[in-house]
Parts: sequence; C-alpha cells; structure tokens
Amino acid sequence: MKQITIDPITRLEGHGKIEIFLKDDGDVENVYFQVPELRGFEKFLEGRCVEEASQIVTKICGVCPGCHHMASGKAADAVYGVEPPPTAKKIRELFYMAHFIHSHIAHFYALAAPDFVVGPTAPAGERNVLGLIAKVGVETGTEVLKQRRIAQEIQALLAGHQTHNVLVIPGGVRKGVTEEQRADIEEKSKGFIEFSEFSLKLFEDVVLGNKEYVDIILNGPYSLKIHSMGLVDENNKVNFYDGKVRVVDTEGKELCKYTENEYREYIAERVEPWSYLKFPYLKKIGWKGFVDGQDSGVYHATPLSRLNAADGMATPLAQKEYEKMYETLGGKPVHATLAMHWARLVELLYCAERSLELVTDPDITGKELRVPLNNKPDEGIGIVEAQRGTLTHHYWTDEKGIITKANIIVGTTNNNAAICMSLKKAAQGLIKKGVEVSDGILNMIEMAFRAYDPCFSCATHRLPGDMPLVINFRDKDGKVIRTVKRD
Amino acid sequence: MKEGIQKGKTLVLGMGNEILMDDGIGPRLANRFKSSLPHPGTTYETAWVGGLEILEYIQGFQYVIFIDGIKTKNGMPGDVYYFTPEDYKETLHLSNLHDVSFLTAVELGESLGYQLPESILIIAVEIEEDTVFGTNFTPNLSKRYNEIYQEIYQIIKPVVQHKITLDQLIVKTSLEK
Repeated sequence: MKQITIDPITRLEGHGKIEIFLKDDGDVENVYFQVPELRGFEKFLEGRCVEEASQIVTKICGVCPGCHHMASGKAADAVYGVEPPPTAKKIRELFYMAHFIHSHIAHFYALAAPDFVVGPTAPAGERNVLGLIAKVGVETGTEVLKQRRIAQEIQALLAGHQTHNVLVIPGGVRKGVTEEQRADIEEKSKGFIEFSEFSLKLFEDVVLGNKEYVDIILNGPYSLKIHSMGLVDENNKVNFYDGKVRVVDTEGKELCKYTENEYREYIAERVEPWSYLKFPYLKKIGWKGFVDGQDSGVYHATPLSRLNAADGMATPLAQKEYEKMYETLGGKPVHATLAMHWARLVELLYCAERSLELVTDPDITGKELRVPLNNKPDEGIGIVEAQRGTLTHHYWTDEKGIITKANIIVGTTNNNAAICMSLKKAAQGLIKKGVEVSDGILNMIEMAFRAYDPCFSCATHRLPGDMPLVINFRDKDGKVIRTVKRD
Repeated sequence: MKEGIQKGKTLVLGMGNEILMDDGIGPRLANRFKSSLPHPGTTYETAWVGGLEILEYIQGFQYVIFIDGIKTKNGMPGDVYYFTPEDYKETLHLSNLHDVSFLTAVELGESLGYQLPESILIIAVEIEEDTVFGTNFTPNLSKRYNEIYQEIYQIIKPVVQHKITLDQLIVKTSLEK
C-alpha cells in the first residue's frame, strides 16, 4: 500500500494531517484526517472563578475568541441561574455580529475565493489572495481589508479588545453603548450590508456564472448526505446567539430540537485511537461508522447545515439570498460541501442586516446592563453558533463559583467525522490509477476540507519548518520515494 | 522615508499566547521592554494572531521589531535568531493559516498602498513547549530567560531609543552572524 502525506495543511488554522492510503493499483484505499495534538483547555479552567472564565477562554484561540467569550458568558449566566437584561443581550449580539462579519470576510476572500476566482488547479503561487486581487482589482482588495478592519474595530470598541474580549460578565455586560458609538456603528452596519451584497454578486458572477464551477459544486466529488445542525430562533430562523439547537435529517425533516440543558441527551462523542479530536454523533441514532445516508449518526454544523436546519433567515435581504441559493441548487436540504461558501456569504449578509437592526433598536443604549447574582452557583451550559459550528460550554462549580469541571465541544469538533468522509470522497474521486497526483489535484482534495473552515487552535498549533506544505510519496513499505514542497 | 510616517516611529510587537507556557516568550519580553526601555517614539504591543491582522498593527510605523517563538529541528530552548523579510523563516505566529502568511500579508499591504514599515526585524526565540496550558516557562527556557532578555535588550536598545536606525542594526546584526 502506498501512502501520501500532507503535513501541515495549508491555509488553515491549527495542526492537522491528512493521510491518503493508496492501493497497489493507485486507487484510494482510505483517508484519515488526524489531529495529532492534545486539546486540554478544559483542565485549565478547573479551579478558576466562573466570572473570569469568559476572559480566559478568549485566549484559547485568536481566530474565534468572541465565540468562546459568548458561550462561556452564557454558561456563566446559567451557572448563576440569571437572564441578562434586554440591553445586555443586544449588546452581546451586536458584538457577535461584528465577530462573524470579520471572520466570514477573511475566510471567503483569503481562503475560499482564490480557488474559484483564480481557479482550483491554478499554480499554487497564484492561487492565493494576491492572485485574487490581481483578478478582481485593487479597489476590491482595499474594500475587503477595510470592512474586515471595521468589524474588528467594532469588536474592540464594544469588548475592550478585538481578540481578548472583556465584554461579557455573568448576568450582563461590563459597559454600555453611547449614542455617539451607536450612530457610528449604524453607519458601519450599512457599509457591511453593501459589502455583503457585493460579495454575493461576485460569487454569482464568478462561480455561478461558470458552468465548470457549478458542475464541480453539484456533481463533483464534494457531496455528502448527512444530517444538518444549527441554532434557530422561536420561528425556526437562523440565529447565532440564542435559541434551540435543531437537527434535520438528510431529507430535511426535523430529527430533534433541544435546549442547552438537553444537549447530552442528543449528542454523544466517540473516540478513535488515531486522533485526539473526538467524533460527536447523534446519540439517538448511534454511531454507525464513517458512513453517510439517512441511517448514519453523522451530522455537520456549518454555514450550510445552519441554513439546512432552519426554515429561513430572520432578515429580509438574507432571506432572498437564501431562497435563491436553494432554488439554484435544487431545493432543501443541500448536500454539496462546496455550497458552504455560498451559505457563508448568505450568513454574512444576515449578520450585516442584524447588526443594523440591533444598533437601531432603542434598547441598545439602555442603562440596565446587568442583573444581580443572588442565586447559588452550581452548573450551567451555554450554546452559540461559532463560525465553524455549534459551540457548547458546560461548567460545574462549587458553591463559591469555582469551576470544578468543564466540558467544551468546539465548532470544528462537530464536523470531525464529516471532514474525514468529505476528504475520502474527494480523494477517491480525484486520485485514480494512472493519474498524476498534481498540485492541482491535491488542492482540490483540500478544497473539501477548507469548505468547513476548520480551526484546530483549540488544540494549539505550530508550523514546523519553512514549508507550508510537504507531500511525501511512499512506496508500499512506507519508504519515501518522492517529496514535494509547496510555497 | 515613506510619506505620512513619523521619523523613527518604532513598534516592538511581542507575538504569542501567555497561557501556553513558552509560547508567551514574545509578549513577556515586549511587556518587560515596555518598562525597561521606554521612549516616546516607540510603542510596545502584544498580539497572538498574524496574517491579515498584522497589517493593522504595523502600518504607520517606520520600523517594526517582532519578537516571536520558533521551533526548529536542532535548536536549543533559548537560542535567539534574527531574520528580516528577505531571509524569513516561519515563526509561530507571524503567519495565520486561517487567512494568509506573513509574507503574503506584507505583499498584500504593499500592493494595496498600506503605509508599511521601511524595515522589519524578526527576533525569534527557540521554545520547547507551546501545546500545554500553563503560565510558566519550561525549566530549560526559564533558565535562559534573563540571558535572552539581556541579549535582546542590548540589540534593540539603540533602535528603540532612536540612536541608530533599524537598517543600521540589521546590517550590524547580519555582519555579526
């Protein structure tokens, strides 16, 4: 058996490794996606005050600190059995929209768009954000960085720092929003809406306007029929900050809908000996292995799954784009992995609209920022949607509010089994007997992975050596017969 | 000198995560230099994420000195390396696999007309452990911490106090290599 090693994965946060095992005849036998480092931040929380947890967890990862900040804050609310006042909840959500906006912009333009705008098999040296700017123009590039920066500035304004957020405290938020700040964010939110619409138009022109790309999305080796998870509001519309977790099956029918406190009745985690990252699955169906289909327990928690799991978007412009997406792709639910990029842009527009809604709500400059903590602390769970999937923080404390145990299911962990399966499917579809495994083919395999926007910073990471990508070709005895270094 | 940049304006940016043991070497040193080497024309900052984020930190400065951790094949914890973008080696935080690499970010900034520094020096400290949560260094790095501090202090002092330019320091450092 031959083995191809890709280590580390390019353009993705964290340290992961894809192992592709070939049969002697050159076809793909199996694919493993491994996270070879231990994630241990739950232990780090033990012995800490639950009040400071929301600040500690922002240091888990610099990529989605705001998500951990929110989930941790909600868990701390639950530990004390309190509900923040409306103003506090709206300020939290306003911050959270900016957090999503900056991340979704970065992912689409720096990671996803080069594959489509420059081309999936274009030379690696061109298939990046610089190649993208060369195609779409400096003006667009400047706007991308500007909008991303503005989103970061809003986070810093509301939460003290764009990465190490100090906004949320149990029962509320630390500080309010002044009228001057509100007016400023209102203008910026309008700019986000305009930019989101521009991004969707770009996607329509470049991707949907190219028959080859549409064919890759719909008919390429990028389809995976699994269940879909996402947080929904009381009307079953997409929500990132609050609501119930809803799971729909491969046909789009509701499998379950549960509150934070019920998550352990619905989700279980499986351990495989070859990865430190666990494999969550739907408990009521059970673990049936790395298989897709209606009987499988595997689900995904991604922008696409969130749209699949909901009945629509809660804002008007995003709703129109939602309808257009499903109409174009043949109805709900969609199982095309690469459609995650489109779904991410629909979410971007939703966040922009929601940001404007929140900042024009009279409550946003309210003065009631927190409620007193009169209850005895014990146990609490907080769930939000992170950019990369449903994020759960579960804390147990003693009577003084000191954390005695913590469990965290991060967004990417939800997608661990799905990522492995998507990679295998892509590899089996692209690597064939007699086909030279070119850089373009390897990139197309990585595209299956990149669509999930996975982030393994929670497991910490490093970049070993100079080269972002090293490919070792091994013979059946495991001996390296060829090494390719990229970038 | 580039238009709009104040002469000698210098940034010392410590990169890393202070709760991941040795990974905190960059921020720890930057914060210490902030107290021991203050100068009105020099700013000390800490950050964790590189890539596109770096552009927002470095624009508008004439000189930028990064202090980051690095892991090499044969290095000893506490070894200190000096790079420029021309002979760049991948340190732990300057690139962001979630968006772009350090060099791509700089190139992107240049192509989009950002006011980027005239000179950049990357100081990389060999570390041992950055995968375990903890606020202390490993014993090997801890043993050499004051030595590392003194070495970098002497190297950057004339630049952060505006006695010499960063270019002069880079020439001097490369001659001494």
